[in-house]
Amino acid sequence: MKGRRATGVIVVLAALAALPLFIRSEYLLGILSVCFIYGIWATSWDFMSGLTGRENFGHALFIGAGAYTAAFLNGKVGFAPWWGLPAGAAMAGGLSLVIGIPTLRLRGPYFALAMLAAATIMQRLTLIFWQYSGGEEGIPGLDPLLESKAAVYYLCLGVFVVITLALLLLAGSHWGLILRSIRGDEAAAQAAGVNVTFHKIAALVVSAFCAGIGGVLYAHYQEAVTPDVFSVALSISIIIMVYVGGIGSLYGPAAGAVLLALLPELLRGLGQYRLWVYSLVLIFILFFAPEGVIAPLWRRVTGGATGGAP
Amino acid sequence: MLNILVYGAVTSAVYAMLAVGFTLIFGVARVLNLAHGAFYGLGAYAAYVLTARLGWPLLPAAIVAVLFVAAFGVAVERVLIRPLRNSALAVLMITIAVGLLFEQAMYLLFGSEARNVPAFSNATWSYAGLDVSGQRLLTLGFGAAVIGLLWLFINRTRLGAAILALSQDREGALYVGIPADRIYAVVMAISAAIAASAGVLTAPFLTVQPTMDLLPMIKAFSIVIVGGLGSIPGSILAALLLGYSETIVAYAISPAWTEIVSLVAVLLTLILRPAGLLGKRAAF
Repeated sequence: MKGRRATGVIVVLAALAALPLFIRSEYLLGILSVCFIYGIWATSWDFMSGLTGRENFGHALFIGAGAYTAAFLNGKVGFAPWWGLPAGAAMAGGLSLVIGIPTLRLRGPYFALAMLAAATIMQRLTLIFWQYSGGEEGIPGLDPLLESKAAVYYLCLGVFVVITLALLLLAGSHWGLILRSIRGDEAAAQAAGVNVTFHKIAALVVSAFCAGIGGVLYAHYQEAVTPDVFSVALSISIIIMVYVGGIGSLYGPAAGAVLLALLPELLRGLGQYRLWVYSLVLIFILFFAPEGVIAPLWRRVTGGATGGAP
Repeated sequence: MLNILVYGAVTSAVYAMLAVGFTLIFGVARVLNLAHGAFYGLGAYAAYVLTARLGWPLLPAAIVAVLFVAAFGVAVERVLIRPLRNSALAVLMITIAVGLLFEQAMYLLFGSEARNVPAFSNATWSYAGLDVSGQRLLTLGFGAAVIGLLWLFINRTRLGAAILALSQDREGALYVGIPADRIYAVVMAISAAIAASAGVLTAPFLTVQPTMDLLPMIKAFSIVIVGGLGSIPGSILAALLLGYSETIVAYAISPAWTEIVSLVAVLLTLILRPAGLLGKRAAF
């Protein structure tokens, strides 16, 4: 069983790595790069919220923090674009502490509500303090991280695969078990001597850090950043991708994000109705496939239960 | 000074109308309704369609708009929320999907430009250098009246007693034969109707746009957290606190900073007094 799973992973990765040899269209490579960035966001969301069961309704807060930090350093201060990666990730991680420490010590819906509020208010702030953030237009004219589209494709694919594998390893480790025990029964985990608050906040920091990296990649891919990176629509799109993939499995959301991000691009003219389609997909999933679609399918194809899933 | 007093009261009344419904449905049915902003927005859009597109006079249009949103709220509760009620996360997701669908539907039907809803009163009141539109004063009066009526309804009627019982002890209420599902529908209708009437009343002086649902909802749950989840007096107190804080910040510093007030208030509350001003300690 383990052999079939490893073969499956290698086949998928080899196909993705070989794709630029066949696809000469820069446009298509660009779309795929964005799909991988969505994959980073969905996997990092699932690591915190899927494992511990504390739903984060403002993942865009971390994405936007990474993207705006990178854009500010590169576009306003004039640093080389690579500085954005550590700085953006650190900014996202720092913000996660500001929201996480007051809200995650509590049970109840405080964390979900505070994240949604924080992301929305940050989006308003980018409009209000337009002297620094560029307002509605954002910060244009950023340098790309790498010159050729194929190189950017490999960069995004590489970061996506590394982050997904690292988070899968963490989820399969002892720490992952602790995080899942919090979702199962927080009071029981606490009674067993687990410092639940610390572990929840640590998971959030890891999740925010990865989302921030994705935000930096996105800003430099677009060569611009707009307030939309903080939008609720982005946060919700990511959650929908996780649901379609299968919450808590990490690899499901990774694949779900790539496929769902690709779907509206493939069906031309659907782009405008993207959120409309997404919300209908979400309602369908909630009622008819609460386990998601991709992770259960993958388990059936490769046989047996795979790691990561509860 | 007088400016702050009057405008602060108007803002507080709007916030209270939004927060009371949000906290009521949470306290009674344990539903965190992220479609609450959509009810507010739908009220404004319904009034716009009835007055501007169908040419109705304002008063019947406003009443029909509010009733329509109340019915919509009941339908959402009945069709989408009830089957998923045993999973809190699924309820959150389904209500946020409703909010998203509202935004997209309004965007497709009416475009992104701001729409106008006529005001009940075009008079302006001037007193000691202060100018307030009649519509704002009407909003203040209506908000105060609605909350007073809600208070009487919950504390003085049989149905209100059933609502209170359900919010205090769900199982106990079921044992004495209170029909929980029917009460949830009633509470959802009340909650949606109050949000929609806030939408209709504020539409003339705020913007009616597809994205109008988000900020009021964020304000509503900030207030509910500050006041204590599930506590109606708490959310009225917190609405006054936030309404006046924002107005004071707008006058003393700049209107740009008002958006930060609610976020700071939420974080401070959660650090210093997580149960909220008037919340029960068992709430967390």
